[in-house]
Amino acid sequence: MEPFEFGRFSNPALLILASLAGGEKHGYAIMEDIEATSGVHLGPGTLYGAISRLEQAGFITALPAEDRRRPYRLTDQGASFLRQSLASLKKFVSLGYERLEA
Amino acid sequence: MPRSVRAWLLRLYPAAWRERYAEEFAAMLEQGMLSPLDVVDILLGACDAHLQLFNGEDVSWRLVVMLNKLRTTLLIVFAAFIGFVVAGMALVNLVDDSLMVPLMKAEAGPALAWLFIQIGAVVALLAVVLGGLPLGITVIRRALSVDRRNLRWLMVPLVAFLALVLYIGFMFGIASGLIQVAGVSPAVQPGSFPLGNRLLLAGLMFVFISGAIASTLAVWKVVSRTYVEQATFQAGGRSLSLKIYQFAFAPAVVTSLAMLVMLIATLIWGGLVFSQLPQVFSGAYGPLLMSTRLWYFGIVTIMAVCSLAAILGLVRGRSALTAT
Repeated sequence: MEPFEFGRFSNPALLILASLAGGEKHGYAIMEDIEATSGVHLGPGTLYGAISRLEQAGFITALPAEDRRRPYRLTDQGASFLRQSLASLKKFVSLGYERLEA
Repeated sequence: MPRSVRAWLLRLYPAAWRERYAEEFAAMLEQGMLSPLDVVDILLGACDAHLQLFNGEDVSWRLVVMLNKLRTTLLIVFAAFIGFVVAGMALVNLVDDSLMVPLMKAEAGPALAWLFIQIGAVVALLAVVLGGLPLGITVIRRALSVDRRNLRWLMVPLVAFLALVLYIGFMFGIASGLIQVAGVSPAVQPGSFPLGNRLLLAGLMFVFISGAIASTLAVWKVVSRTYVEQATFQAGGRSLSLKIYQFAFAPAVVTSLAMLVMLIATLIWGGLVFSQLPQVFSGAYGPLLMSTRLWYFGIVTIMAVCSLAAILGLVRGRSALTAT
């Protein structure tokens, strides 16, 4: 298993936020980026279910559409949430390693 | 995957969701190959979107849901107004050149009630124009720039109006003797109403009513396919941004109240006129020599249904107005 690959248990919202932390992207680009960086394939329904919830939470914002495709950008609130989530994951990963090496 | 299947998959999502995401979602689906698992994922996504609505969850497309509701409210009021106009024209037709006119000139009560009907008609029309103008301009702009399919629907009111003008022109042609039609008399004498003339008048009523219905349905279709959160207009060198659905709500309230006033005034007017002219009420003075009683009650029923529909529509849309 590749690092950060949790199959269908991966958190789609977190993956999207992490993808957008690398720059603005539209739906298909987010999907490709996530697949390339984490090996997780987000289905179109899951992707847009998560995008709509992230928009509602104010973690991402839609930019004006470019040729039917609408890019999304990570907001400050979204970046802050991503930092907290990654910090929690980091703690969890460290704890996991400690227990394995104990 | 064929376009028709992708379109079918999109149609499974709620209308409000589609307003917000359909275009980019469709663009994404066109970019890559869809596996059977992706199709299942889309089906689950559609179920999830419906469940979000059903559970009353706060969704990012809540604004779209609310604006759609507000737009439907405006369309209900508009359709009710058109129905009311048709009933109003029938009332004018009943009164025109009848024994009721001298009575209304002599008696203050019926004249005042009629004045209220006229004032109500002017107020309702002005309110519809005020509220509908920004929406109409926006819909035409969108039809020209984005969705040209809507242009075909926008032609319907124009064609209906043209058909009415041509038909009236045809009737004038007959009345002036320029056009001769067998069985149709150019001038109808009191007490005689040849079958040909009845058919001619029935034709006018058909062109007017069917044109009104077709135009209302076409406008409904185009407006309900045009989603607008805000529109910008240039006026006198200034730029004006308007939330057009919210802007049109107050005029819709005025239109509905004017309709209610006209309904009450029509009831009072009918009571006053027909109590003094019972022979007219029990006679056959309606168009095509139809029963006056039947014609009047038909008019009042249509007016009442339209007023009620408009008011219920406003009540339904009030929550959407406050939410947006």
